[in-house]
Amino acid sequence: MAPGLLGLYARRLLAAATTRGRVAAPVRWESSSARAVIAPSAAVGKRAPEPTVHWQEDPEPEDENLYEKNPDSHGYDKDPVVDVWNMRAVFFFGFSIVLVFGTTFVAYLPDYRMHEWARREAEKLVKYREAHGLPIMESNRFDPSKIQLPDED
Amino acid sequence: MLKIIIPTIMLIPLTWLSKSNMMWINSTIYSLMISMVCLPLMNQPCDNSLNLSMLFFSDSLSTPLLMLTTWLLPLMIIASQYHMTKEPLARKKLYITMMILLQIFLIMTFSATELIMFYILFEATLVPTLIIITRWGGQTERLNAGIYFLFYTLAGSLPLLVALTYTQTTLGSLNMLLTQYLTERLTHVWGDSLLWLAFMLAFMVKMPLYGLHLWLPKAHVEAPIAGSMVLAAILLKLGGYGMLRITMMLNPTVNFMAYPFMMLSMWGMVMTSSICLRQTDLKSLIAYSSVSHMALVIMAILIQSPWSFMGATALMIAHGLTSSLLFCLANSNYERTHSRTMILVRGLQMILPLMAAWWLLASLTNLALPPSINLIGELFVTVSMFSWSNFSIILLGINITITALYTLYMLIMTQRGKYTYHIHNIKPSYTRENTLMLLHLTPLLLLMINPKIILGTMY
Repeated sequence: MAPGLLGLYARRLLAAATTRGRVAAPVRWESSSARAVIAPSAAVGKRAPEPTVHWQEDPEPEDENLYEKNPDSHGYDKDPVVDVWNMRAVFFFGFSIVLVFGTTFVAYLPDYRMHEWARREAEKLVKYREAHGLPIMESNRFDPSKIQLPDED
Repeated sequence: MLKIIIPTIMLIPLTWLSKSNMMWINSTIYSLMISMVCLPLMNQPCDNSLNLSMLFFSDSLSTPLLMLTTWLLPLMIIASQYHMTKEPLARKKLYITMMILLQIFLIMTFSATELIMFYILFEATLVPTLIIITRWGGQTERLNAGIYFLFYTLAGSLPLLVALTYTQTTLGSLNMLLTQYLTERLTHVWGDSLLWLAFMLAFMVKMPLYGLHLWLPKAHVEAPIAGSMVLAAILLKLGGYGMLRITMMLNPTVNFMAYPFMMLSMWGMVMTSSICLRQTDLKSLIAYSSVSHMALVIMAILIQSPWSFMGATALMIAHGLTSSLLFCLANSNYERTHSRTMILVRGLQMILPLMAAWWLLASLTNLALPPSINLIGELFVTVSMFSWSNFSIILLGINITITALYTLYMLIMTQRGKYTYHIHNIKPSYTRENTLMLLHLTPLLLLMINPKIILGTMY
């Protein structure tokens, strides 16, 4: 067994030694019977061929990519000048004028729906009524003597 | 009021006479300025209304809705700029004209004193919306959607016309400011119950109430982005606004007539929220979420307590901004992939991280995260519904949970996870889109600090 194995390994070593030294073959395979040669594929390392069938997920051919012609596109228009001015207009009028001034206006609204007045008035009335011993609030919202009820039908 | 209406009307010649490269810029700038002009109406000096003329008035209920309307027009114009690039110039101008026309009608509707004028303009808003949906929608189903939208609303509002003319002849005036002081209310007679139904049905269809809501998913999904925005943000609120105004004439019949609609709303909100969990179409999910939120508003208006009116108004404004924002986000997806199916575009957080931030904020406000104004609205409605009937808290709690569930489902499905293998053509977010989202979000977040202006007449 050992001589057989030795022979096998020896043959392999011999084969490796003979081929190791050879220069990397420009061909992949050489036929021993014919003179056919398979050259390395020119497409090795390149992308697969483009699909010919149009899938739903492929980009629509009529979709315009605004970034192609104008990499700084803001998405408003094809013309770069109009695009930039549109962006500026929206930012200025939308944020700087309406949002900022609008927020300031709403923040400084004077006594919205008279809540602060109502609080002051209530405190004033409570103070008056407590000082004079009157009840703070009557249970009748309207004066009962002024209500005119219709006759019993 | 004319200082708002005349400039809005003049936006139409501005659009038609602008140079082609200045058209979008001009219309955006001037519509932003008009929303600025609308702001002084916020100065409500007392708890009554600002009576501006015989025809127009503004009070704490109509002013936030007016602000929302005028704020939304520039946003609609910005949102439409991309998908209109291929259209010929005249058609672009026509599109903007339709939006402006809708804006004029909406401004006049929200500020009308006379109920018949309100009705005429309420119906008039249908026409530009129908044109926008059927002419510029994306798929063939838009024709069916337009028919559903038009005829549901018309069928609901014809009884309203009859009821309004009847009331005009018996009462003598339908001025909203005067009818508040009505002494002889409706009775419990059968005819008066039908009158109540006639008044309310138009607004129930518009809100929409659960059984009458079939037009909404169709119309919202098939409309182009500007149509979806205005439908979700404003046109639904027309129903709520109308109901809030009319209910002050309708006591005490409302006490027993409201029950079928309360049942439909309570059950409907749970049902539509659950439907949202099973949707594949992104816009359809947002549309059903609108039905669910509006069901809360219907319930709040029907129980007629001060807290519920505050909650209804806050919820209308908050939902208007949130829903419009969600539709803009869905449209930014649609413009890139031309599909509304959620599973086709996943994992966007890796690809468009800034847009993911806006998706997150929109979802957080949609699920009523404190301290957003959505929460204020929902909480006020929930609390007042609990005081009306203790058992309603079960359904309301289920609805709030399911709202959180489907909102997070939408967020996780579109943003998280591994992106789909075929996304290689997702263009980075444009400044325009980020601006649009911010213009929606900033008022929404700023109102957290000062919600008293959206709490309506009962605050």
